[in-house]
Amino acid sequence: MADIHFTLNGQEVAYEGSAADRLLDVLRDTYRCTSVKCGCKEGECGACSVIIDGILHNSCCVAMGAVNNCSIVTMEGYRETDRFKVLSKAFGELSAVQCGFCIPGMVLAAEALLSQNPKPTEEEIREELSGNLCRCTGYNAIVNAVKNAAKEGDGLW
Amino acid sequence: MVDGFIANSLAEALEIRATQDVVPYAGGTDLMVVNRPGLTYLFIGKVPELKRVFVDEQYVHIGAAVTFTEAIHNPDVPTLMKEAISRIAAPAIRNAGTFGGNLGNGSAKADSVLIEFATDAKLRLVSAKGERIIDVDKFYLGRKKLDLAKDELIAEILLPSKGIENYAYTKVGGRNALAISRVSFAGVFASEEGKITNIAAAFGAVADTVLRYKDIEEMLLGKTIAEARELRQDYLQAYSERMVLTRGRVSAEYRKGVCMNLLGDFLTKFGI
Amino acid sequence: MEKISQSVIKKDHDPKISGRSIYVCDYPSEGVLCGKILHAKVAKAKVLGVKVPELPEGYFYVDARDIPGDNNVNIVLDDMPIYCRETVEYIGEAIAMICGPDEKVVDKLLATCQVEYEELEPVIDLRKATEAFFNYDFAHGDLEKAFAEADKIYDEEFTTGYQEQAYLETQSMMAEPEESGRMFVHGSMQCAYYVKGAVMRALGCGPSGVHIYQDVTGGGFGGKEAFPSILACQVAVAARKCGKTVRCVFDRREDMEYTSKRHPSICRYKVAVKDGLVTAMDIDVIYNAGAYSTLSAVVLQRGLIAGPGIYKVPNLHVHGRALKTNTSPCGAYRGFGAPQTYFAVEMVMDHIARDLGIDSLEFKQANFAKQGDVTSTSGRYHFPIPIPDMIEEIDQLCHYRQKRLEYSKPQTGRYRRGIGMSMYFHGAGFTGSGERDIIKAVAKLRKYADGTVEVLASNGEIGQGVRTTFPKIVAHELNLPLEKVYYNHPDTARVPDSGPTVASRSLMIVGELLRRAAIKLRTQWIDGEEQEVEEHFREPTFMIPFYIDKFQGDAYPTYAWAVNVLELEVDTYTGITKVLGAYGNFDVGTPIDYNIVMGQMEGGFLQGIGYASIENMDYDAKGRIRNNSFSDYLIPTTKDVPNLQCILHVDKYPEGPYGAKGAGEVPLVGGPPAYLDAMEQALGGVNLYHAPFSIEDTMKVIMKEGI
Repeated sequence: MADIHFTLNGQEVAYEGSAADRLLDVLRDTYRCTSVKCGCKEGECGACSVIIDGILHNSCCVAMGAVNNCSIVTMEGYRETDRFKVLSKAFGELSAVQCGFCIPGMVLAAEALLSQNPKPTEEEIREELSGNLCRCTGYNAIVNAVKNAAKEGDGLW
Repeated sequence: MVDGFIANSLAEALEIRATQDVVPYAGGTDLMVVNRPGLTYLFIGKVPELKRVFVDEQYVHIGAAVTFTEAIHNPDVPTLMKEAISRIAAPAIRNAGTFGGNLGNGSAKADSVLIEFATDAKLRLVSAKGERIIDVDKFYLGRKKLDLAKDELIAEILLPSKGIENYAYTKVGGRNALAISRVSFAGVFASEEGKITNIAAAFGAVADTVLRYKDIEEMLLGKTIAEARELRQDYLQAYSERMVLTRGRVSAEYRKGVCMNLLGDFLTKFGI
Repeated sequence: MEKISQSVIKKDHDPKISGRSIYVCDYPSEGVLCGKILHAKVAKAKVLGVKVPELPEGYFYVDARDIPGDNNVNIVLDDMPIYCRETVEYIGEAIAMICGPDEKVVDKLLATCQVEYEELEPVIDLRKATEAFFNYDFAHGDLEKAFAEADKIYDEEFTTGYQEQAYLETQSMMAEPEESGRMFVHGSMQCAYYVKGAVMRALGCGPSGVHIYQDVTGGGFGGKEAFPSILACQVAVAARKCGKTVRCVFDRREDMEYTSKRHPSICRYKVAVKDGLVTAMDIDVIYNAGAYSTLSAVVLQRGLIAGPGIYKVPNLHVHGRALKTNTSPCGAYRGFGAPQTYFAVEMVMDHIARDLGIDSLEFKQANFAKQGDVTSTSGRYHFPIPIPDMIEEIDQLCHYRQKRLEYSKPQTGRYRRGIGMSMYFHGAGFTGSGERDIIKAVAKLRKYADGTVEVLASNGEIGQGVRTTFPKIVAHELNLPLEKVYYNHPDTARVPDSGPTVASRSLMIVGELLRRAAIKLRTQWIDGEEQEVEEHFREPTFMIPFYIDKFQGDAYPTYAWAVNVLELEVDTYTGITKVLGAYGNFDVGTPIDYNIVMGQMEGGFLQGIGYASIENMDYDAKGRIRNNSFSDYLIPTTKDVPNLQCILHVDKYPEGPYGAKGAGEVPLVGGPPAYLDAMEQALGGVNLYHAPFSIEDTMKVIMKEGI
């Protein structure tokens, strides 16, 4: 089997390691995408969320062989977008970021939601963020921030 | 490189499966929790033949590599199945997790498998040599033991396309998301000309495999609702005697109590 | 809203949300050795030896023999070793560390280490434990007389389980030997100076031999108060031996199973009631300390002081012990010993009211302490007690009384509802004379020639917002734009010891020092010059001196107050319980930033709800914790609650900055009693005695009562 080719935040890359390596580790160690956090390595917390071909994934539960020819977006890429700016502003205005460890994953989960459903209800927001644990906020500020971002960013998604 | 095979077609996948010592990898959500060192994965998540959903006269065919999210958005997937799989874990896991993986993992807690038991689903297993279709309950030989040969892959789940519109479904998890089932129940009911033609009841996460007792179900088959109502206590008693449950994250007593409540509720829902 | 309360964008918002913040796990691995701990696999044993596999070049095995200083971690009694001595005392105790450049090789080496144990009989069952690390007793009034004259005596026992902090970033620490010989330790922590004291002792060096820096920290909640001192010693000793930077990042299972959690408790309450009033309480408290004493002394003290709750108890006896078991040492967790006794006292008050046939709120109201009343430790409630007003406010918010009445009528059908209330205080700041006698906080401001001002203090940003609120206070006093004032993560080499980030003290105590310092700087301000000002802690003059040996005096200068209401719906077929509404009214004084304070209230409240319901952790007969992952130790997700409705009642504290009091802990404390009170109502008025109360517990009652 040849190298694994994929696009990382818009850049084409070829990974030469094992197909069984964890995407989470490879993103952090090989490509220095340290916004992707390791909270449990079992798919139970969402801190390592990334977007693969437009869809939210836990990068700890993805082997490298599964991302061949895929396009991966982490916060390192997403933070350059206008959508990020809207989400960041909304989170900032409600002080929705406390310790910050869950946040890059949480914001990508919000992006995955809004890209499918630009005007979500509170229930839909709570459903779509339900795989991203936050121990600090009690979720109010995060859920409200996503709601506000959807309003503010009308047309972006 | 390296240790791993990416299959682009079913034929290719079966060829590799026949000749190499590989572990089929569809969504990865179970495999990667442990990611046992030294395994060689056969990546089948993008094999087109395993990604299809379609309906024929008898069955809804769901490809083994169809993800739960894909199925939730597919109009051909029956409501009962959608209800169950929309309660699996959380979006990111549903985006990756597949029907084949849920089966292949061999757990009695698998939420899609419960529905397959309750609906008398069949599985199409394929190898380079050919294919076979078996009933889902025959696929499970015991705790984490499957009737799947080393050269076989799960290709499709065949759900009946009719007769599963009337159902009861409950999942009991430790919380409302990211929850492994602690008890799950699915019941399917059908009647024709006032007589019960189907009254399937399946219990998940309470024993080594999903439980279903077809001989007890027969007590009510062919009966009218009024007749069935007369038999309700005997029927429940039969279940209560038969169900010997194990303990897991919750006690056997809890499992039993909840199973009996949900079974009773299922009967009540259909007037029995 | 006052100007100081108006919310700003947090100073650390941009780096955190954009993923640019560097947590200790994020530093590049080049030149860094990965350190992993060899944990004991049995609860009590003599360690006869360890067969270490042959180590490839560049790999090291580090144990107690490598400690240059003293093998005791500075905490309170300092009984905890860095690496085990002759025996191991709990499953998970550190025997050694293996360090090397490649994590996978380290893992393999660890897996092939063979520890030879001579197993000893462990103490696992708390009820059979006899060795008390701490044993406290205090009383006032005439207990015997009160019980003799009582109309009725109640005797009930309550238990609570572990609670795991479950911060999203696991315990992580890094030690770098500097060229000068000084050791640089940095990582995830709440208390840089605690870590410093511990590492100095481990390395046997003076204050100049080590400096500590708090990296961006992914949550603490108390879990990073004492444990980082242990891990810091372990990596510092390893780095000293290897002569290289060593980093140890715990995996989730390691963290959940082996690091400190909230103490499980058994609280027995004997209560005398006469003419509808509580006349006496005889309280006996047992906390499961685990294998070493760590912070149990102070945790227990706070729990005992909160023993009688917010009620006036003229005759009181409190006895409490922290008992040793051969399990993971328990430690600090937001609330710090108080949630356990509050659970017991609120529940016993509910039960008494039920027995007397009166509404529990009415019964509690009749027994409230008032301003000027004597506290449990014979101090005074110096300031007004806002609870009666807060109850009216929360009743308006959620129609508590109306729903309480409605749900008290007989219910039928599959779903049953209940609504419950808890009310309590949380003593703001350290217990007793800790601030005055032990911490002696110092904070500084440094003004640079360009007119920017740096806050110099040792309180760590752990999500609670001190990097924003400290500068806000200073900017406010100096009339500067907020951008001109900043507060970096503390490095002990350049900041004074303003104390640890614990006990809801940072803003109230250190924030006030900074306010005073800013006033001083304002009066001395000279444009274009570099200037520095310093302020020291002063105890408020109204305080009645506290003596810990007698538990006498003002245990706290003031209190944060709270009323919580939870409304539940129970599915009687499954025991699944839905939180229909969660309402909190909190008095933490003036919010220094409204959003930040609300974030604390909501986050703490949800932890309290988790503690009451789904956060279940226990150990088996061998002392092994099985709930050691996020799939087995469940914390609330977005889908487990609706938006929490929190409001603030503001009673200003004159000694806090602009009237601010302690805020961090209070929102967590009242979850269990409010939840169980609601559960009791939903289940038709049964008495319940333990938390967390799981779906299985609920089902047991339903089956037993035939509901």
